Amino acid sequence: MPNSTLASAPPLLLLEQVSKWYGPVLSLNQVTLELNAGITGLVGPNGAGKSTLIKLATGLIAPSLGRVTVRGRDASDWRTRHSIGYCPDHDAFYEEMSGRDFVRTMAKLNGFHSSQVTARSEYVLQQVGMVERADRKLRGYSKGMRQRIKLAQALLHDPELLILDEPLSGIDPLGRQEMLDLFNALAAQGKCLLISSHELEELEKLTNHVAILSRGRIAAVGTLQQIRELLDDYPMSVRVVLDQPKELAKSLLELDGVLGFDFTDDGLTIRARSPERFFAGFQKLVLEKGIIVREMEPLDDSAHAILGYLLGGSGKT
Amino acid sequence: MTNPTDHLLRYRPWKGELNPPVYASWAMARSSLRLLFRRKIFWALYALALMIFFFFFYGQYLVVWIQMQTASQTVNFGAMPVKMSELTKFLDKLNLNGSPHTFGNFIWFEGYVAMIVLALAGAVLVGNDFQYGSLPFYLSKPIGRRHYVLGKMLGIGAFINLLTTIPALLLFIQAGLLNDWQSYYIDNYLLLLGILGYGLLLTVVLSLLLVATAVWVRRTVPLIMIWSGLFVLCHRVANFLVEVQNLSPLWRLIDLWNNLYLVGLWLMRADPEAVKLGPQPEPWQAALVLAGVCIGSMLYLRKRIQAIEIVS
Repeated sequence: MPNSTLASAPPLLLLEQVSKWYGPVLSLNQVTLELNAGITGLVGPNGAGKSTLIKLATGLIAPSLGRVTVRGRDASDWRTRHSIGYCPDHDAFYEEMSGRDFVRTMAKLNGFHSSQVTARSEYVLQQVGMVERADRKLRGYSKGMRQRIKLAQALLHDPELLILDEPLSGIDPLGRQEMLDLFNALAAQGKCLLISSHELEELEKLTNHVAILSRGRIAAVGTLQQIRELLDDYPMSVRVVLDQPKELAKSLLELDGVLGFDFTDDGLTIRARSPERFFAGFQKLVLEKGIIVREMEPLDDSAHAILGYLLGGSGKT
Repeated sequence: MTNPTDHLLRYRPWKGELNPPVYASWAMARSSLRLLFRRKIFWALYALALMIFFFFFYGQYLVVWIQMQTASQTVNFGAMPVKMSELTKFLDKLNLNGSPHTFGNFIWFEGYVAMIVLALAGAVLVGNDFQYGSLPFYLSKPIGRRHYVLGKMLGIGAFINLLTTIPALLLFIQAGLLNDWQSYYIDNYLLLLGILGYGLLLTVVLSLLLVATAVWVRRTVPLIMIWSGLFVLCHRVANFLVEVQNLSPLWRLIDLWNNLYLVGLWLMRADPEAVKLGPQPEPWQAALVLAGVCIGSMLYLRKRIQAIEIVS
């Protein structure tokens, strides 16, 4: 699709004021979320509503209130699923099937002509590094191999929107890097990847754009830096390693947004309210005073820390 | 639009036309059949089904052969000569003569085998999709819920027809060849349509019922219990109520397999007086019960397949 057409196209995934009840249990509460190309991490504690959001996005369940659309079409419409690839968290297959048979069956379900089923199945098996192990029965697969097979079936029809629920769980470090490279390649092609994961460190390697869910609500959406900026109640901590900490400390309090500092063995730990303003002012200050900074490290702008702050934890990592 | 990473990872986007979702239903049906035929435990039951077929196949042949060999012969009982054809009349009771009852009886007996296999396999074919959560794999593909149900029904229906309708059609062909084939096929074309109709009836009712019960109970043992209750216990209870307690023949309507048999015989235009068990309800009454079962199953499936996740 040309770029101009893409720009005018409806959002790839749009949840508008979506609520979902399971009997008396409110699983999602008036969630609004818009996603386009790129990788977005979906994070939140257990029971936050991640699975429900994913099922709504894939059209597996219908919202109690609100609307879920994919490129403007209702997510529950089966035709929408031509645009969606879904890799579920659980791995319940027909255990007697081989991995290759499973992917081929899924290719047929996607509507591939029989002449194309083999070629496309082999192609996606190759993408996930399972060509040589695909003839083994699924019951003999490790967790990591199952993840790869699930990912293969999600990639079959080359969907615009890939929804991956814990895709890295159980995969060895080398395999993880392969998967991360594949996700990046897909995102570079303009695809939208919504990745739910508990493994925040891995997620941070992949993207800094996250949607944080808490108690059925979207607590924050954006890049980690943007979200961190908004957390005024939680001053950012920055560790600075330098030779003249006293000299720097004298000038620090004049800086806008600095709340305080502590001396450490090798420098200072500074607490500041607005990271953006602090870093701009800090840079100017050290240049003016000629202070040599050996090392500088934000202590709590990781996904872990931000999640901790948003969900009521300390945020310290 | 190409990217440097495309080359790096050799990721090739898909460009092409896809089949409509009905093809997915057929793919699902083939997977179901493969699962059924892979289980070695079922092969003993298939052998039993084959034995029933051979019994009817060679039975038909034997009856014709005996009648041809002995038609003109007479034997003397004391001083009284009796034609051999009179003595072999008992063979007519077996209905191995290409009449509607031949096919009605054949499908009745083959049906038992089909029932046992379906009761054992229902959990594998359908229940596991719900029990272990593989339904999202299906429903995340570009197919609707109706295509999922259709796919499962097609698989079960194909299996039922492999055990009942197709061998019945072979018996029909054989019956024609054993008689004057031209007049047999021409005179009995409605019987042929009746066999196909009976097969269709079995396919629709049993596959809907199996999918609904498997979605409901999911596991093999409860499914066998429900299936046995429907087709064995209800049969026995109906016989007891009508034959022992002399209650109205309408009580036979609780016997689902008998209802299928009655409607099947009606489709094949069999003589209603010659139905093997005593007083029977009307075929339209049996058809009404079957329609009710189908509608009930469809309503249940419509409700159940929408709710993938239940939070207690």
